[in-house]
Amino acid sequence: MYRSLARLGGLAVVSSLIVVACGGSTPTTAPTAAATPAAATAAAPSAAAPSAAAPTPASTEPVSLEFWYWAESDAPGANQWMTDTVAAYKAVKPNVTINVVPQGTDTLISAFQTAAASKSGPDIASQWATGPVLSFVWSDSVAPISDLVPAAEMSHWLNTNENTYNGKVWAMPQYLLGIGLAYNTELFAKAGVTPPTGDRWTWDEFIAASAKLKAAGITPFVGGDKNGYLGAWWFANIGGQQLNSVQELAQAVVGTVPFTDPKYTGWYTNLDNYVKAGYVNNDVMSLDLDQGVRLFGQGKGAMTFTSDGMLATAIKDLGAAKVGVMRPPKLGTGTLADAGNATQSISHFVTSWSAHPQDAADFLQFMHTPDRLTAWYKATGVVAADDRFDATLVTAPQLQTMAKAETTGPQVWLENWIPPQIDGDADLPAGQMIFSGSGTPADAGQLWERSAATWRSAHPDELANWQQLVK
Amino acid sequence: MSAMTAAIRRRRHLDVTPYLLVAPAVALIILIYAYPIVRVFIDSFLSPTAARGTSVGLANYGFVIDDPVFWKSAGNNVFLLFGVPIMTVVALVVAVILFDQIRGWRLYRTLVFTPYILAVPVIAVTFTYLYGYNGVVNEVLRAVGLDGLAQDWLGSPKLVMPSILSVIIYRELGFGVMLFLARMASIREELYEAAMIDGAGWWARLRYITVPQLRTVISFFVVIELITMLSWVFAYVYSMTGGGPAFASSVLELYIWKYAFAYRAIGIASAVAVLLLVATSVLIVVQMLVRGDESDTGEE
Repeated sequence: MYRSLARLGGLAVVSSLIVVACGGSTPTTAPTAAATPAAATAAAPSAAAPSAAAPTPASTEPVSLEFWYWAESDAPGANQWMTDTVAAYKAVKPNVTINVVPQGTDTLISAFQTAAASKSGPDIASQWATGPVLSFVWSDSVAPISDLVPAAEMSHWLNTNENTYNGKVWAMPQYLLGIGLAYNTELFAKAGVTPPTGDRWTWDEFIAASAKLKAAGITPFVGGDKNGYLGAWWFANIGGQQLNSVQELAQAVVGTVPFTDPKYTGWYTNLDNYVKAGYVNNDVMSLDLDQGVRLFGQGKGAMTFTSDGMLATAIKDLGAAKVGVMRPPKLGTGTLADAGNATQSISHFVTSWSAHPQDAADFLQFMHTPDRLTAWYKATGVVAADDRFDATLVTAPQLQTMAKAETTGPQVWLENWIPPQIDGDADLPAGQMIFSGSGTPADAGQLWERSAATWRSAHPDELANWQQLVK
Repeated sequence: MSAMTAAIRRRRHLDVTPYLLVAPAVALIILIYAYPIVRVFIDSFLSPTAARGTSVGLANYGFVIDDPVFWKSAGNNVFLLFGVPIMTVVALVVAVILFDQIRGWRLYRTLVFTPYILAVPVIAVTFTYLYGYNGVVNEVLRAVGLDGLAQDWLGSPKLVMPSILSVIIYRELGFGVMLFLARMASIREELYEAAMIDGAGWWARLRYITVPQLRTVISFFVVIELITMLSWVFAYVYSMTGGGPAFASSVLELYIWKYAFAYRAIGIASAVAVLLLVATSVLIVVQMLVRGDESDTGEE
């Protein structure tokens, strides 16, 4: 029996080696280093689009496009809006059929990794801005949107700097997402807490308010970190406040400065103290981010980090009179401590293998027509990333506060400026360490440093590109 | 030409035909099973992300061995292995009870086997809600005054792996029970009758007749579940915790998936896949040797 097995096994191995030798695969070229680094400093929301090649006309033949779309988690109502947009586009371009495939948050990057590896899949895809988009740019999976869309059109798009690299814009923004600290005015009043007179508290004021709330039997801060994204929001809003620019962060990414330097990870001590003081809901590790935010809308906590869309939902659930919003508390003294945190969050781009890139780009442009911008806001309550957006639609004072913060002054979403691997292996689990009590702030810092070293070792090709970003 | 030579030539000519007939099936098996294994083995020596064909020797293996998350993941898989004896004993006990055809045994058999036919994500998501800090399990414990037992079953790094193991046991138990029941149905009644005549009680019959008769099936089940714990738990972990909190529930399959599909480091993922393949191959060989020994000694 064993001899037969051995013969069969040998036959299988030899046959496979023959197949491998005859087949092989076309080597993927290693990405070349950028000639011009991206705009890496904290930037104003609107940025002039770089000059673009003249786009070629869209086809008149029947065209079928596939769009892997993500936005619902950021902006509830986005999927329905997209369904309506596809129907509206069909009326304008009957020869174009668009199949929208909503993507899950946890598989957004990995699903597209598979498509990118095989250079087949959707015509249009969504990825989070900067780091994730650029990682796919560097693997030749993205067609520059500035080659497909007229410069005059792109000049209306906001935050295009987040995906500008090598003189081109690679992806289109759809909306602007900022994070505010929502608070329940009724619970504040019950605990004798007064909201800030300015637009934000200092860290000490935030702690003092949390202590009062806890003393009144109210959970000061609610959230969910089972999937790690609450910790990521804390990093993006509090963690970068000791830095002066995103280049400083990139210095740690490429290994010039260690992540264990307190300016990068010292803030975990503050978070650790906050959690240990009992100011966070006790089921934070049982809930995902959006489940945790829903606790706020249920009146089970006094404060939470919230996006525009989540805030709109909370206003519906609690009533406008019970909801207030402020900027995240100020902990650090770096330049970024005063920067806003608005980002386009998700970016949409045409894939490099699309057989109909111009048609795909035309649909993306259609998403920015005034009618669609208005419909977007009505469906989601999230501000569109376009200066043609009718700001008078924002009537709720809380959402007006968010919109003003998102479009005033420099804006940086820090999480955009780290590679996806470091985000997944350091940013997310480091926050989980602190919220679950399974690690110390020093452990969190070590985790960031180790993860960055691991990434540098596994991705020498991407490291070269990030080093260009730092220059 | 002699008659013998002609016969040999005819036999050689006839010998090709069966091979031609099975060739398509063999080719398909090679394509589906053997080619990916060889490909993974080759990829484990290639650069993680750069052009295919760039050999890096054992660098990927070195990378993996230096990564604490790899060892944490491997350790979690080893922890899950300790669930196999628990699962085996519980399945055996349940099978014996059902075999005795207690009142309602058909209903109990259906209830025990139903989880096994449900998809793993369905079970996993259900238990995610059950095991939440304010989930059903803890609410029941609090309702009966056992607040101290209400824990963060999936959010605590110390409890997450035992909690996941409990879900795996819950689902895989049905498979073992059905295997044991099927084998028990073929045990000769005369053995039990003779034992009863000799005054053997329930425990003695179980110990001296049922378990020895089930030995082959038990060894098969044990090896299958050992392999499951090493390389078929991805769906549980991914659905319930995603490997968190902070890698506390990471397993080797999740590690491979992350490096292959999330981080675009095929070489590293392949190195881990090869190591996992070696580990499971050892178990398969052990199982074959055990079954070979049992057939040599004439045991069923």
